[in-house]
Amino acid sequence: MSEQQDDRKPKDKKNLSDKPPWWDTFPWWGIAILAILLWMGYQIVTKDSYDLAWERVIPGIRITITATLQAFAIALALGLLAGMGQLSKNVLSRNLARTYVEFIRGIPILPLIFTVALVLLPQIQDALGFKLSFQMRATVTLAFIYGAYMAEIFRGGIQSIAIGQVEAGRSLGLSRRQTMNSIVLPQAMRAIIPPLGNDFIAILKDTSLLSVLGVLEITQRARQFSASTFKFREGYFVLAFIYLVLTLGLSLLLGVLERRMTRDDKNVRSNRGID
Amino acid sequence: MISIRNLSKTFNKDIHAVKNVDLEIDEGEVVVIVGPSGSGKSTVLRCINRLEVPTEGSIVVDNVELTDPTCDIDKIRAEVGMVFQQFNLFPHLTVMENICLAQRKVRGKSKSEANEMAMKQLLRVGIPDKADSYPRQLSGGQQQRVAIARSLSMEPKIMLFDEPTSALDPEMVKEVLDVMLELASEGMTMAVVTHEMGFAKAAGDRLVFMDEGMIVEIGPPSQVFENPNEQRTRDFFDKILY
Repeated sequence: MSEQQDDRKPKDKKNLSDKPPWWDTFPWWGIAILAILLWMGYQIVTKDSYDLAWERVIPGIRITITATLQAFAIALALGLLAGMGQLSKNVLSRNLARTYVEFIRGIPILPLIFTVALVLLPQIQDALGFKLSFQMRATVTLAFIYGAYMAEIFRGGIQSIAIGQVEAGRSLGLSRRQTMNSIVLPQAMRAIIPPLGNDFIAILKDTSLLSVLGVLEITQRARQFSASTFKFREGYFVLAFIYLVLTLGLSLLLGVLERRMTRDDKNVRSNRGID
Repeated sequence: MISIRNLSKTFNKDIHAVKNVDLEIDEGEVVVIVGPSGSGKSTVLRCINRLEVPTEGSIVVDNVELTDPTCDIDKIRAEVGMVFQQFNLFPHLTVMENICLAQRKVRGKSKSEANEMAMKQLLRVGIPDKADSYPRQLSGGQQQRVAIARSLSMEPKIMLFDEPTSALDPEMVKEVLDVMLELASEGMTMAVVTHEMGFAKAAGDRLVFMDEGMIVEIGPPSQVFENPNEQRTRDFFDKILY
C-alpha cells in the first residue's frame, strides 16, 4: 500500500506541473507552411511553365505594395479622425463619423469599389476639376473602407482606457487635448496596434480587388497571363505563392512587434487589475 | 476658500445624489466628510473641481464661480489637487514623469524646475528612491503617496481626498494617513472623504456627516463622534465604531 503511494508520488508531481510537453506547444503549423512554401518555390524555380508565369506576374508587385502603403496611410488618418469624431463632444462631428462608419461597414468591399471608384469619385473629380488614375481611385476607395474599420479600432482602444486616467489628468489642470495626447492615446496604442496590423495585412490582400478596375497589380497580371495562355494552374499558383510570402512575412514581423509590446505591457495590465 | 451653496446633483433625472448642500471651507481648514456609501459625499467632493457638474446651486472656489460655463476650469483645477481612491497614476510613465507631466504642460516649467519640485515632493512623502520606478512596481501605499506628491507638485491651494485609503491593504493605510496628517498640520486647506475616524479626530477641524444626499450634522469631530445631535448620526457611528 505504502509502496504504491510512493510509486505514484513522482507521477502526480509530473501531472501537477503546468508545463506541457514540447510537442504540445511546438509550432507544427509553421513547419507545414514552410514546407508548402518550399514546395511551391521549388515548382516555380524548376518548371519552365511556372517560370514564365512568374516573369509575367511579379512586375505587378510594385503596384500591390504601393497601393497597400498608400491605402494604409490614408486609412490611418481617416480612422483616427472618425474614431475621435465618434467620441467627440460635438453632436455634428459625432454623427458625421458614425454615419461614415455605419455606411461603409454595411456594404461589401467589391460593390463599394465599383460605386466609389466608377461613380462617386468621377463625379467629385468633374466637380472639382482634377483627375485620378484608376489605380489611385481604387486605392482611395480601399482607404475609405478601411478607414471605417480602423475608426472602430481607435474608438475601442481609446474607450478601453479607464475613466480614472482622464479624471486624474483633468484634475491636474490638463486640457482635454493634453489629456488625450499625453495620457489616453499612449496607453490606447497598446490596444490599437495589434488590430491595425491585422488590417494592414487585410489591405494587402484586398489590393487584389484593384484588378476589377483593370489595375495591373499581381492579381490582374495573373488573370491576364492565365487567360491568354490557358495556363490557369501556373498563373494562380504563382499568385498564391507571392501573396503567401508577403502576408506571412508581414505577420511574422507584426508578431515580433506585438511580443515586444506585450512584454512591457504585462505589468501594466496587472496593474490595471488593481485599478 | 470654498463656498458651496444649495448644491444639488441629479444623475439620470431621478437619482438625487446630493440635495441642497451648503458648506463653507475656510483657508487652512481640514473638513472631513463621512457617511454611509451612496450618501453623496464623493459627489460633493467631485463637484468642487467640477468632475461632476452640479445640477443646481453654486460653488465658489478661490473667488471663482464654477457653475459659470465661461470660467477657465483648467486653471481652477490646477489649483485644486485631487487624490483618488484608485490612485489613478499613469501606468505608462515613471513616477518622476507622473509628477512632472502637469507641471510642464500646465505650469510651463522647464524640465529641471519640474524635476526639482518632484524630488522635493517625493522627499516629503518619503519615497525619493522610487523616482525612476513605474507605478506597477510600487505597493498600493507607495502609489497613493506618489499620487499625493503629484498633486502637491502643482502647489495647489486646496487638496481634495476621495477615500484615499479605501483601496489599500490595512498595513499601508497609516503611511498614507501620516502624509495627510503632516499636510494638514502645515496648514493646507483640505476636504477629505474617508472612513478613517482616527484621522478625522486627529486632523479634522470639522466633521460633516452626510446621509441620503444631505448634510445631517456638522461640528467638531470629537463632539459629532461622542455627542451627536441627530439620531441618524448616532446610528451610523454605532454601526461602524467598536
